[in-house]
Amino acid sequence: MNIQEYISSGVVESYVLGLLSAQERFEFEKYCETYPELKEARDAFELAIEKQAMENATAPPAELKKKIASQIFVEKKEQKLSPVIPIETVPSKKFSWAKLAAAASVILLAGSVWWAMSLKNENDKLKNDLTKIQQDLDSSQRQIAQMSDDAKKMGEGMKMVGLPGTPNSPKSFATVYWDTTSKDVYLLVNNLPKPASDEQYQLWAILTPNGQLQTIDLGFIEMTQKPLQMYRMKNAQDAKAFAITLEKKDGNPAPNLEKIFVTNL
Amino acid sequence: MLFCLSFYQLLEPKIKYSEQELVVMLKQQSSDAFNYLYENYSGALYTIINQIVPDKDTSNDVMQEVFVNIWRKIDTYDAVKGRLFTWMLNIARNAAIDKVRSKGYRDSLKNQPIMEGENGGMAMSSNPLINDVGLRKVLTKLNDEYRKLIDLSYFQGFTHEEIAKMLGIPLGTVKTRIRTALSQLKTMIQ
Repeated sequence: MNIQEYISSGVVESYVLGLLSAQERFEFEKYCETYPELKEARDAFELAIEKQAMENATAPPAELKKKIASQIFVEKKEQKLSPVIPIETVPSKKFSWAKLAAAASVILLAGSVWWAMSLKNENDKLKNDLTKIQQDLDSSQRQIAQMSDDAKKMGEGMKMVGLPGTPNSPKSFATVYWDTTSKDVYLLVNNLPKPASDEQYQLWAILTPNGQLQTIDLGFIEMTQKPLQMYRMKNAQDAKAFAITLEKKDGNPAPNLEKIFVTNL
Repeated sequence: MLFCLSFYQLLEPKIKYSEQELVVMLKQQSSDAFNYLYENYSGALYTIINQIVPDKDTSNDVMQEVFVNIWRKIDTYDAVKGRLFTWMLNIARNAAIDKVRSKGYRDSLKNQPIMEGENGGMAMSSNPLINDVGLRKVLTKLNDEYRKLIDLSYFQGFTHEEIAKMLGIPLGTVKTRIRTALSQLKTMIQ
């Protein structure tokens, strides 16, 4: 670059008087670092402008100094409380709708993203809730089906017989549901002590033909830990009473009458 | 003679600080710094403000703004980029142009009584622009075209693009002519 040409182009004066664009200003400052003669030319014009301005000074009104001083020094005290936002001194640009629109769209976008995310969270939560409710409903329906099944068994013609505990086991209790039409027998174990591992309970139907005691095997009870378990037993054609005895695991054709736990005899 | 000089100095002790010293003082925000700044520079800055703002009350408001800005922004002054006075002059020029262009100021003009100017044109009822001092006076020595370009760019703050549009001449031409005008201006003031 021919620096002399640059210097005499009027760029120095434009820089000092603030008439260069930001780009040109930046370039000028860069060249000043490289070319001392450019900086000298700048200094010379600055001094000339300053001298000219000083020679043409006009006195402001006397009261103005006091007014300005009071603003500056009152402000200084306030500054300690809250920082003052500096005022821009370059000529302010016209109000920009484009900038406002850009700012608004950024806010709008941020808002939309937040909204979408909260909607997604809400949606996920609702899905989870729905699955849980569906599972609860399925399980409730199964329970209802079971119960209505049980209830059917206790419907018309169903005879309910409570079997209280004997002196062998006074706290024991069982209930026999006997469908007198189909002859089906169901046993509800309300409370029976846990048998030894080589023993199990057996249900008997008791008949008294001609004044003689007759017992009919209605099956073993596979005791589970579930409370209030209903067991399907063998059918009973006829029965005066029922009894549960504790027997050896192999079973007995006739009950061990010493070990009656519950009966309604 | 020597006696007279020292007597004069006793009456009015004029301390002269270098720019560097003044900048340090301003950064310390002392009242001495403010007094020195105002005593030495207010007149020169007041002239440039009055060459842009046509009425005195508004000029005074701009003056206040300018000194508050110099005071607040002294930390942003960079001596590598130029002299303190140049920096202050640009703050004053920009503040004055901003004021004249502000909506509040333009609205206030509508409510001002106007009267016939000397040349039959409209002029403000308050003080007219100071044209007989400073750069404005130097401008009168330039030809009409150059004077107009400097007036539009320096005193009214229009960009080169705006001027090119306004006058219907190419941007490059505006730029070269303004620079030529400024070169002539320089030889007149140096």
